[in-house]
Amino acid sequence: MKKLAFATVTMIVLLGLLVSACGAPAPTEPTPAPADTPTTAPEATPIPEPVIGMTYKIGFAPSVTGGGSFLGEPERNVAEIILEALEEAGGVVGPDGVIHPVEIIMGDTESNPDVAASLARRYIDEDEVVALVMGSLTPISMAISAVAMEAEVPYVSMASSSVIVKSPDTGEVYYWVFKSPQGNFEVGQWQVERLNAMEDVTSVCYLYENTGYGGDCYNNSSGQLTEAGYENVFEGAFERTDTEFPQVPAIEAAGCDVVVIGAIPPGASNAHAAVRAALPDIPIIHGHGVCVQDFIDVGGEPIEGAELPCSAVIIAEDVPADDPQKEVFTDFKTAYEEYTGQPVSTFGGHAWDALSWVLEALESLDDGMTLDEQRVAVRDYIETNITNWPGTAGVFNINTEDHCGIDYTSFTWFKVEDQGFVPFPAEEW
Amino acid sequence: MQGFLGNRSVKRGLTVAAVVILVAFILLLARQNNYGPKAFAQWTIDGIRGGSIYGLVGLGFVVIFSVTGVINFAQGEFVMLGAMFCATFYALDVPLPPPLKLVVAIILTVIIVTLVGVIMERATIAPARARGAHIVTLIIITIGFTIAVRATALLIWGSRAKIVPAFTNLQQTDVIFRPFGLTLSAQSLWIWGTVALVLAALYYFFERTMMGKAFRACAINPRAAELMGINPGRMSLLSFSLAAAVGAVGGIVFGAATRPQYDMGLVFGLKGFVAAIMAGMVNPLGAVLGGLILGVAENVGTGVTGLYGYKDLIAIVILILILLFRPQGIIGGGERGVEQT
Repeated sequence: MKKLAFATVTMIVLLGLLVSACGAPAPTEPTPAPADTPTTAPEATPIPEPVIGMTYKIGFAPSVTGGGSFLGEPERNVAEIILEALEEAGGVVGPDGVIHPVEIIMGDTESNPDVAASLARRYIDEDEVVALVMGSLTPISMAISAVAMEAEVPYVSMASSSVIVKSPDTGEVYYWVFKSPQGNFEVGQWQVERLNAMEDVTSVCYLYENTGYGGDCYNNSSGQLTEAGYENVFEGAFERTDTEFPQVPAIEAAGCDVVVIGAIPPGASNAHAAVRAALPDIPIIHGHGVCVQDFIDVGGEPIEGAELPCSAVIIAEDVPADDPQKEVFTDFKTAYEEYTGQPVSTFGGHAWDALSWVLEALESLDDGMTLDEQRVAVRDYIETNITNWPGTAGVFNINTEDHCGIDYTSFTWFKVEDQGFVPFPAEEW
Repeated sequence: MQGFLGNRSVKRGLTVAAVVILVAFILLLARQNNYGPKAFAQWTIDGIRGGSIYGLVGLGFVVIFSVTGVINFAQGEFVMLGAMFCATFYALDVPLPPPLKLVVAIILTVIIVTLVGVIMERATIAPARARGAHIVTLIIITIGFTIAVRATALLIWGSRAKIVPAFTNLQQTDVIFRPFGLTLSAQSLWIWGTVALVLAALYYFFERTMMGKAFRACAINPRAAELMGINPGRMSLLSFSLAAAVGAVGGIVFGAATRPQYDMGLVFGLKGFVAAIMAGMVNPLGAVLGGLILGVAENVGTGVTGLYGYKDLIAIVILILILLFRPQGIIGGGERGVEQT
């Protein structure tokens, strides 16, 4: 009996080691099974019989586990919502009336660039996807971008940095790569405007998380604010799991007028609370990584007064009816909150926009194209037809020079009040 | 070379020189960046807060090592489990007044995490030892246990942070005192009080109870204790349970000061291990002191140099230095200790 118990426990321990060793540094969750392709057509039309064309496949993989899971989970939820709708409809309808079932293959990049690159390879070569929608984080997206460019497959990233779609040195736009979120450059533009409207502000302290996103926030914010004349008196990084913040006494000693934080929850909430505890009155400004109710819930009362730029989807009901994004805001927010039971996530919105582009492009494809032709056609469609396109992150205008298509006016400036996000327009500054 | 470095007064001289250089370096950086005594005081206070938990974890290491010779790398996970379970229990919708709810949550959490410690010992350590496994095998088993616990925590609780309310006002936001312009959260006082309480309770247990004396006997000489009729297997079980309970208490009281996440245990395990090494793995009070020193060193070190990304480096450097030059520990370690392993 003892032998059996020991053998069992040893096996379990070994299996545990094996499973985590095979995965990325972070423990892995089982990846969700790929969706089933519907085999029946929707309600039969009397005449003529609907023709079912070939199945289109989209390779989808956010960071479900690992450091980016805060972004990846909502993105995966959105993909599941869209998949459900597709299955109900039977697929997308081509211009010639042919119905093409769509299979969204679900994966997990595990917040690891190597895993993401090999996953992208597998999607392209083995699963023969028409397009990739992957990568919740910037370094992950860079790795996938390289694969997509080499294999000539259209790729829409759900991460924010502009270096994903455009080379920072040469300014050359990557032909096959697009992205749906607003960038940190646009965040910086808003931050400059906000500081310009504040009185007696000459110096800024920067606090950012020690990740690609945090570093990008810092580069964009400090780059533009310093250019606008604000002195950078302190910059410090922190880890997502940090519980002590030795940066705070240094911030006090530096004597700055404003603190700019570039991070996602819970790190952003902890850092904000630590600064607020030591400096009760200093203005604290964030980027768009904290546009989720969780930021406020985890931080609690100290988060009051935080200012940040967000997409107005978080207050969808209060957006005026004539706003071009009102419809997509309401559709998305309702669908998301109904499916998950949780408050809407702007990160999920990036997946919504990205998948919508690909689906719209697929709808435009004629029947009978080869896989290579489909990939080229999808890429061309996204580059030419996503114009004045209202999405959750903004009204997109993609063209050959700009593979993201939104500028900083897609943001609304918000303030945290009464444990919720309240729009804080420029007139009130 | 060995003779030169082995010379006692040379060693002492070198140590003093190193300390003087370090202090001078710190003062220089402080002058350069305008860090006054207030900044240092703040760093020290914050460092003692985290250091208290390192100390409790180190205490757990010492308790288990002194009796079984096993270095339990899963110690940090007990802290994580304590915080997460407490948050989960407190968040349950039961019709109890919040203070009572918190007390019940704490009691339940300590019981459950102690049970986890018991399961760990009975299911993995004891059977392995019964089959004559080497100490190193047992240590590796604890590493495997850490990985398993962390993965299970991710499955159960997801990747989001949880909330344990501050003890003073049972709100999410703590009461903050400002003595001399410093920031002192009320939860820090709870943490320090808890550490003192745990030390006092352990002192009473080890000095005044039969079980505790048997435990100490086993720690001093397991073979002789066995001859005296003390059951080493039961002592091993007791050590794991104690360590789990102490870790859980640390996790609960610290969880209220921060936002617990499923992977917070790794860092505490590592730092607590260093704290235990500072005490030569045998002295419980030394482990707590070592943890406090480590916490302060970390905070002051990263604060004054601005190298926040290198926080863990300080702990590792201390670890390597101690293992190289003084493996029996620098605070009340005995001649026994890690060298035994």
